Amino acid sequence: MKKVLIYIDPQAVKDSIDLLEAAEQIYGAGESLSYGIVPGTPPADVFGVFDKLISVSPDRAEGFDAAYIADSIEKLHRDFQFDAVLIPATVFGRMIAPRAAMRLQTGLVADVTEIRHHDEEIVMVRPAFSGRMLAGIVNRGGAPVMMSVRQNIFSYAGPRTKKTEEINFNPEPFRKPGIRYISSQPKPQDEDIRESNVLVSGGDGVTRYFDQLNELAEVLNGSVSASRKVVDRGAAPRHIQVGQSGKIVNPSLYIALGISGSIQHVVGIKNAENIIAVNPDRQAPICSLSNIVVEADAREFIPRIIKRIRKGEYK
Amino acid sequence: MENDKLMKNISTILTDDQINTDPEELYDAAADRYKKYAKARKVLDVPVPLAIVYPKSTEEVARLLAFCNENQINVIPRSGKTATEGGLENWKEQTIVIDALHLDKIIKIDEYNMQATVQAGVALQTLEDELNKVGLTTGHSPQSKPVAKYGGLVATRSIGQFSTLYGGIEDMVAGLECVFPDGHVSRIKNVSRRAGGPDIRHIAIGNEGTLCYITEVTVKVYRYFPDNNKFYGYLTEDIETGLKVLREVMVNGYRPSVARVYSEEDARQHFFHFYKGKCVLLFMAEGNKGIVEATSRGIEEAVDKFNEGIIEEVPSELIENWFVNLNWSQQDIDDEFEGMIENDSHDGFTTEISADWETIPKIYHNAIERIRKEYNRVHDLTMLGGHSSHSYINGTNMYFVYNYSINCAPEDEMRVYHHPLQKIIVEETLKLGGSMCHHHGIGKFRNEWSKDEHGTAFYMLEKLKKAFDPNGIMNFGTIYYQEEGAKYQK
Amino acid sequence: MKIICFVKLVPDVENFKYDYERNVLVRENVHQILNPEDCSALSVALKLKQENIDVQVETLTMGPEGCRPHLEDLIKRGVDRSILISDKSYVGSDTYVTSRIISRYLEREAFDWIFSGTHSIDGGTAHVPSQVAECLNIPQMGNILRINQAGLFSDRVRTEVDSEDAVLQFEIERPAILSFQYSTKIKLPYIKYEDLERDVSGQLEIVSNSRLRFCDTETGIAGSPTKVSQVEVDSFGRKDTRFLKCDDEGIEEVYQFLKQRGIVCS
Ligand SMILES: Cc1cc2nc3c(=O)[nH]c(=O)nc-3n(C[C@H](O)[C@H](O)[C@H](O)COP(=O)(O)OP(=O)(O)OC[C@H]3O[C@@H](n4cnc5c(N)ncnc54)[C@H](O)[C@@H]3O)c2cc1C
Ligand SMILES: Cc1cc2nc3c(=O)[nH]c(=O)nc-3n(C[C@H](O)[C@H](O)[C@H](O)COP(=O)(O)OP(=O)(O)OC[C@H]3O[C@@H](n4cnc5c(N)ncnc54)[C@H](O)[C@@H]3O)c2cc1C
Repeated sequence: MKKVLIYIDPQAVKDSIDLLEAAEQIYGAGESLSYGIVPGTPPADVFGVFDKLISVSPDRAEGFDAAYIADSIEKLHRDFQFDAVLIPATVFGRMIAPRAAMRLQTGLVADVTEIRHHDEEIVMVRPAFSGRMLAGIVNRGGAPVMMSVRQNIFSYAGPRTKKTEEINFNPEPFRKPGIRYISSQPKPQDEDIRESNVLVSGGDGVTRYFDQLNELAEVLNGSVSASRKVVDRGAAPRHIQVGQSGKIVNPSLYIALGISGSIQHVVGIKNAENIIAVNPDRQAPICSLSNIVVEADAREFIPRIIKRIRKGEYK
Repeated sequence: MENDKLMKNISTILTDDQINTDPEELYDAAADRYKKYAKARKVLDVPVPLAIVYPKSTEEVARLLAFCNENQINVIPRSGKTATEGGLENWKEQTIVIDALHLDKIIKIDEYNMQATVQAGVALQTLEDELNKVGLTTGHSPQSKPVAKYGGLVATRSIGQFSTLYGGIEDMVAGLECVFPDGHVSRIKNVSRRAGGPDIRHIAIGNEGTLCYITEVTVKVYRYFPDNNKFYGYLTEDIETGLKVLREVMVNGYRPSVARVYSEEDARQHFFHFYKGKCVLLFMAEGNKGIVEATSRGIEEAVDKFNEGIIEEVPSELIENWFVNLNWSQQDIDDEFEGMIENDSHDGFTTEISADWETIPKIYHNAIERIRKEYNRVHDLTMLGGHSSHSYINGTNMYFVYNYSINCAPEDEMRVYHHPLQKIIVEETLKLGGSMCHHHGIGKFRNEWSKDEHGTAFYMLEKLKKAFDPNGIMNFGTIYYQEEGAKYQK
Repeated sequence: MKIICFVKLVPDVENFKYDYERNVLVRENVHQILNPEDCSALSVALKLKQENIDVQVETLTMGPEGCRPHLEDLIKRGVDRSILISDKSYVGSDTYVTSRIISRYLEREAFDWIFSGTHSIDGGTAHVPSQVAECLNIPQMGNILRINQAGLFSDRVRTEVDSEDAVLQFEIERPAILSFQYSTKIKLPYIKYEDLERDVSGQLEIVSNSRLRFCDTETGIAGSPTKVSQVEVDSFGRKDTRFLKCDDEGIEEVYQFLKQRGIVCS
């Protein structure tokens, strides 16, 4: 039986549980024993899904002290000899993983989005160059195989009725913490489109029903942006204009509705990782940059995709 | 003369609402698109003019010029404000900008004799729209068509995107009216042709505001057959193949209105959606049905002849769609300005040269190679390439295009980036006998090479200046090198 | 006070070239830029230096010698000293090895703070700052939005960190690595005209393996525990654009795409 250690980020419990699916894709369903490591008191959700659970000192800054977690992972590895260590690619997961890899003297693959198998090897696939490229990476350095895993990619649908065994873990105090947590504030709402992860962007093809973009942006947890023509026509404010004379944006998804993709516009989305264009004209320049082109009227597309996303959530 | 007194005198010639001393407008009038970035960032180093004035008639222009001439006041003629080479930049403490704003009448559209007469301040687009209504066209289509006006178009010897069929502005002007610094008004009459001594139209055409003020122009007009337009596009292995096809089409006597080839780098910024990392060759056949058919055949034959270097044909809609969106409106110009404030960058600069068929590829490669080898900020270049867009039976032009990340202060941009690049291109061009200024004019920033451009013929240009503008009040620093202006150049 | 800033040169995504015939990424002669987040971090350091005479700013880069003109520019912008770690045997090192190389250099350097970006736009792993911190056994914090500058002069600095749903405040002890997020609000100072031609080669130091003394098997492709085994050009390839209709099937495919890219939760 393979042993897989999964870091449970208290800020992202569901994402952490989902890594069990990644573990299954690596070793096959039911072929591995899962160990969860969680800082502080374990959240209720993790009971029943992990085989084993280890909680580490609750008094050390809730998982914010990456060095401490890394030390704990190293110590646990010495005791259990894991075959793989999976960490969700959350803000803090991505600080913990590299440190832990260094301690375990193993290679690390960041932000994995897919697992493949090739000649007996586990291939960890990740995007690079702002999504222009996919790289498949293998670990040659021996155990454990280590990766941080992009959130929301894998989805755990396995049993939640396991008998989770809690393992006692009382390491010596490691290094003194160099980081002290002070406080947390909610993120300011009036976001700059440059900071949005998802942009629902409208062009002249949707000027007349530009308002409809808001709902789509809402279900995707993103913001609305626009091409210059829409701004020129007064249907959108200038500060949400994308392009050479607007803003250069960096979303992981850019949905271009009714945007033709002139060069002045597309220089603004050169860093967008994924692009979906909705445009009846398949020869519009934007299509050449898009992962997906929906050849349709945006008015028809918007309500349908909203409906589908909503359905997905509550399925 | 004191500034106050000067302004008082001007107000005896014009009414108050014809005189503009708004500080922002004066700042704007201090430079043109050559220093667009410094201007947008509010760091222009040149003096602002004293006033912008808007004469309403040829007589008012004459009185203004005569007054300035007597009092040694620098004059900058201005029309559409799209100048790119410093033609509108001011280098004198006492300068009056004479703007053609109110010289805005279309005087006559003569459908039978196929000519139209307009005042200097009529925008090209305005006349074009009027002509289109009666099935005619100006045949003139620089990218600045929506904004540029006839005074400037003639003064810069501009050329349009359909030049291979219609020619440059010099092929269109039948006659014109202009005013000299001493107040003399010359009217050159409109005839189909004549042998009445040297063709004096060419003293006004291309004078860039250094000899006379153009007040009225009569241009030839043409039948308009937009429905017949046919577009062709090809990807080619290299720019030479493209040039060979262009030459083949031209020497066989065909006149497509558009005939262009883009280097890979330049193609990327126009045709990223289909260029596949290759050069792009494109044509538009225009005119009468029979002519379009013949021209299309000519294009196809030429392409066929050099098919080894042709990679594939591009769907013609792609070329057509691109073309439709090419012109710049005032909104575009304003927007670029905003963009330069928002982001530390702009669209890049250009240098347009010309030479015969044999020499053009040599100049192209020599210049690019020298830039790559010699230019000390080559690591800031984000793109360097070019295209040929105006062909003639004996040669073609090359439009060098370059972009760079700007890592110096905005006021230093031109001397750090554009000017040294332009210098290399100009030197390589002149070395092989080409012309350093295909269509933007010499302006103020290529004047150091005016002598080299013209060689022994520069004598004639100098004499013209002495004869028509003995006091040197017309657009100080344009075309003719001035030591005093060097500090603004480098 | 001495701040060392990590600066990486990365291919400009805009000028990213792909060889369709050989199916590989073209890396030769591709225009390089400074990694934008590193610029943000360095800008903070240089601003601090402008305001405080006793701040010393150094940059640290690992890369080919071709980085030189860019690093000389940084000196002209106000950096005191620029270190380029460069050796043929380091080519192809993964983040693990890169971090070890950089750490070995830093072990003998005195500094108060190290600044870096959080991610680079090419690989984007965000490993190196954390791994160097691990090797040096010092704290590190990523995704920093702002710092309380005065704190840099004391033993601990307050930072604001962009986390998933909140902005978190932390106090971090000196010495530490502070990794910043990209900010549009701060830019590198211009190079002054007089400085463009200044000879700054004396402030640029190249550190090679003759100093760091790794053996061949420890660095480069050979020494790296991870290996790139497959490369695919994804969305930019233009070859795999999927054209869909707005019917049930098309909508489902868009939905699956959103799911697969982690945009919607399943
Ligand atoms: C100096 C300069 C700076 C510029 N700066 C910018 C800039 O910063 N940002 C910018 O965006 N532009 C900029 N532009 C303008 C740019 O060139 C284009 O004009 C503009 O981007 C076009 O906007 P668009 O794609 O919305 O409109 P269009 O080009 O008109 O495209 C509309 C698209 O909508 C599609 N469509 C039509 N109906 C529908 C429908 N019912 N559903 C779905 N699709 C439909 C059409 O097929 C078409 O592709 C600049 C231009 C210049 C010259
Ligand atoms: C986006 C863009 C695209 C362009 N594309 C082209 C192109 O395709 N082809 C091309 O040839 N050029 C092009 N240009 C350059 C420019 O548009 C032309 O040079 C145009 O002819 C200038 O006309 P204007 O009315 O704007 O003149 P202005 O900018 O007002 O003046 C230009 C020069 O002419 C002088 N002048 C102006 N009016 C008069 C007058 N009444 N009497 C005497 N002198 C006068 C001025 O002193 C100045 O030296 C482009 C410029 C821009 C901004």
